[in-house]
Amino acid sequence: MAIQWSLVLFTVLTGLGGWMLAAVAASEFTGKASRARFAGALVALVCAAVGGIASVAHLSHPERMMEALNHPTSGIFVEAVLVGLMGACVIVYLVLLARDASASARKAFAVLGAVFGVALSFMAGYSYIMAARPVWDTVLLPLGYLGTAAPSGIAAYLALACGMKAEPSRRAMTALGVAGIAGFVLGGAYLVFAGAFSAATLPAVVCLAGSGIAPIVCGFAAARAREEASGALAATALVCAVAGSVAYRCAMWMISVPVADYLGTVL
Amino acid sequence: MSRYAIVVNLNRCTGCYGCMIGCKNENGIALGENWNKVVQVGPTGTFPDIEQYFLPVMCQQCEDAPCVHVCPTGASYRDPDTNIVLVDKEKCIGCKYCMMACPYGVRAWNTAEACVEKCTLCQQLDEPYCVTNCAVGARFYGDLDDPDSDAAKAVAAADPADVHHLKNVGNNPATCYILSSKYATWKEDE
Repeated sequence: MAIQWSLVLFTVLTGLGGWMLAAVAASEFTGKASRARFAGALVALVCAAVGGIASVAHLSHPERMMEALNHPTSGIFVEAVLVGLMGACVIVYLVLLARDASASARKAFAVLGAVFGVALSFMAGYSYIMAARPVWDTVLLPLGYLGTAAPSGIAAYLALACGMKAEPSRRAMTALGVAGIAGFVLGGAYLVFAGAFSAATLPAVVCLAGSGIAPIVCGFAAARAREEASGALAATALVCAVAGSVAYRCAMWMISVPVADYLGTVL
Repeated sequence: MSRYAIVVNLNRCTGCYGCMIGCKNENGIALGENWNKVVQVGPTGTFPDIEQYFLPVMCQQCEDAPCVHVCPTGASYRDPDTNIVLVDKEKCIGCKYCMMACPYGVRAWNTAEACVEKCTLCQQLDEPYCVTNCAVGARFYGDLDDPDSDAAKAVAAADPADVHHLKNVGNNPATCYILSSKYATWKEDE
């Protein structure tokens, strides 16, 4: 089945943005890397916006998008709402940061935006659960979306924070390693369930290496390394995790087989 | 609640493709696009015990239509009067989610209008043109819940063991196929 690249880009970028915002929210509570919060939230917003635009590129009649108000329980509508809510929270958070507002207000909007962002990384996969596609018809699919998005977003924040010499905490580096374990377990569970290692071997292997092994190694190594080395490790984890995230979504499209394709029109 | 659908008696179908051609002519469907297609199933078996049947496929008018559930704009909808699943092309944004969610791949992409289409059961006519045009009287149309309809009568007249549906994955297709095992073994459940 053909890979729908605009949808791959949408889910990769919004997932990265959502989890990057979660890392920003965490830094509000740990008090570390405060200098990277504004840039981190801004990058998360840009990722969500570019991802949203990518998803619109998939449509043949985007001018009719407002018709979505007719069916507010569809998966696509929920995804669009989550992107909007996350974006709105980030914008408010950025304003609060710029005005040096109270910490509790900042925390509230950072956490709220992170909840929407993380939920979006799950919902982006949840929309594909459908009986017509037996290998998609499992909750393991969206859990893999969530699991592979987590290391990419956390790595993006840590790479940015290290690049800005904002001194992210050792615990944040450890969190990257833990996110890598989540990527390995959740991504791997779906790929094994769906038989991706035989039907789409290369993307399946790239996914496990990129979303799992690389963030695990880089995260736990960065927690013990000097700051300069930590930045390089976080950047390496980012590149690998994005590659793994893309590979997971490509595998999903490549292995999909419909119940039937009588007219020969199935994507 | 009505359940309008087509019943196809495969014991009579000769695979002449008249339903397919009639559908294209009546609905102005472009070359390379179909709302209705005759699929040849077989031949299977080992000589001299071989069998084959022709399976005309179109929208199955699922009672729990996944295309309606996933459509983000309500372009795929169930007509409140007839309960028939239809597409409002003016609302279609071309996301193709319905094409992914249809278990049978019987939704068509209208390249010229860049939107999804499918069998409408010829709402512009009294009965679908494929039914009118069938050379061997193998197709019947009507409300399956109305015992006086042609469709319900055809099902009632058949041996219950000969009445089949396309593989049901929770969508409950309404379209019925009648195929006797003396002609061929039904294979679409596999």
